[in-house]
Amino acid sequence: MHSRARRRWPVQLTVGAALVGVFVALGLVSLVWTPYDVESLDVAARLAPPGTDGHLLGTDRLGRDVLTQIMVGARNSLLVAVVSTTAALVPGVLVGLMTAASGRAVRETLSRATDVALALPGILIALVLATALGPGNATTMIAITAWFVPVMARVTIGPARQILAREFVEAARAGGRGTWFILMRHVLPNIGPVIIVQTSLLFASAILIEAALSYLGVGAQRPTTSWGMVFNEAQAVVGEAPSLVLIPGVIMVVTVLGFNLLGDGLRAVLDPRQTTKAVT
Amino acid sequence: MIRLVVRKTAVLLASALAGSIVVFVLMRLLGGDVATVILGQGSTPEARDALRAELGLDRSWPEQYASWIGGLFRGDLGQSYAAGYDIFDEIVARLGLTLSLALISLAVSLLLGVIAGTYSALHSRDVRGGFVDVVAQLGIAIPPFWVGLLLISFVAVQLGWLPSGGYIPWSESVVGALRTLALPLVALSIALTGVFTRFVRSSMLDVLGEDYIRTAMAKGRTWRGAAIRHGVRNAAIPLVTVGTLQLGGLLAGTVVIESVFTLPGLGRMLMSAVTGREAIVVQSLAFVIILVILVLNFLLDIAYGLLDPRITDAEGAARA
Repeated sequence: MHSRARRRWPVQLTVGAALVGVFVALGLVSLVWTPYDVESLDVAARLAPPGTDGHLLGTDRLGRDVLTQIMVGARNSLLVAVVSTTAALVPGVLVGLMTAASGRAVRETLSRATDVALALPGILIALVLATALGPGNATTMIAITAWFVPVMARVTIGPARQILAREFVEAARAGGRGTWFILMRHVLPNIGPVIIVQTSLLFASAILIEAALSYLGVGAQRPTTSWGMVFNEAQAVVGEAPSLVLIPGVIMVVTVLGFNLLGDGLRAVLDPRQTTKAVT
Repeated sequence: MIRLVVRKTAVLLASALAGSIVVFVLMRLLGGDVATVILGQGSTPEARDALRAELGLDRSWPEQYASWIGGLFRGDLGQSYAAGYDIFDEIVARLGLTLSLALISLAVSLLLGVIAGTYSALHSRDVRGGFVDVVAQLGIAIPPFWVGLLLISFVAVQLGWLPSGGYIPWSESVVGALRTLALPLVALSIALTGVFTRFVRSSMLDVLGEDYIRTAMAKGRTWRGAAIRHGVRNAAIPLVTVGTLQLGGLLAGTVVIESVFTLPGLGRMLMSAVTGREAIVVQSLAFVIILVILVLNFLLDIAYGLLDPRITDAEGAARA
């Protein structure tokens, strides 16, 4: 059990980073090159199976190239994940730090409030928002951000409180440093690993929520291409062409797995004390 | 135990109150003008005013809130203006299906998670344990709606073993209900089972190092016997807490899965209300779904107290 935990370069990290790398590359390359134009339809070649000449992963029911759709969809997932996670990062961590540094009454109240917010499913928030704002990528990103802020706060509170109880914080206080200075200079750098690990895991969540929402039709709308939309459109022809569901799904699952493994691997490297508890 | 129930009931009521206020305020702030949505942009201001008065939207927020919550108790939440159904009756009619999906998949996932996690922990030194862990890790990454689509494609359409959608109520035929719910339940349970398996595994690995396992072995139990007899119960206690954290995701998954399999539950009702931008319906439905989460949370908390008597006294007070 211990030998595995203490290995310096965990295998999850390598595999996770490689899978994430492929996903990011797919999305970025789509900015400059895709096998076909995203909007080009070739009805004559509709529902071509994977491996057909010219269409590596086949075509969908309107004759659009599947690989192209996946690449452009990866770009959209990447966009939504980066924007919503980054937007939630700063407010979430700040709320967490302030909660940790507050007195008992305030801390308990804020902790409960984040618990209640956490109990709300992200997709439910998105659906409520979509009633008001209409469907779209912006709705998706706002909803995911709204859900991630309490998640980020929640994972910050515990570790921040542990650091606040350490001697060097005591020393800084005795030296006349204010709470804000201590939080920024002493606590934040020490809980950095926790935040980095959580960010990786939130990327995975964001990709799944985005796909679910656009599958339901409340996320991105054409002409934007997203993974969930690909599934939605494939459902009508799922009996004739299961590969239209299978292939993009495998790529999505592998991507999500990549971020989860990356998170676990980072935890093993950056936060070894927790490793023995959570990973082995 | 009674103290625990009383305290958790208070938490449940307070959370429900907070939840209802959040939903109400959100819908008022973001819901747009209901009268304009119903009558369209081209309607006259007089017609919109008249409709607002009819729907009670010209009153103050506290009045509207009070009449909404009052209506919930009286069983009167108004009508859907697009589809014309009575909102309360519709929710009651659909609640059973959504609850069946959520409860059965929660129970199945917890059971499978304990079994697979324990197995994986007991074989943590060889390839069998590692294999279970890899499968669990993979399971967590698989979204329910994708599994649902694959099951429809392969099991329902190609093999024709089970229906690809629709629902036969329990009251009509238990076998029919199980046949229509089987695939959605599999789709919902895979990711959840993965989460529970990984948790039980790591929790079990902690427990295996405890003194009471050694004591039990000293008294003549085998290592495996001691682990199963004494370890599982101790490892399962924190699982209840992990279970409460998964409830939101479970209900969200249910909403999505109902759309995949065209099941007439609360999720489908919510989707059509969202698409039709029926703020009044969405408000009540969102609250009912939150209420389901809170009640399940309450029940798991009580189960936690039953599993671990210590929770009812000092630790319980700290937790609450």
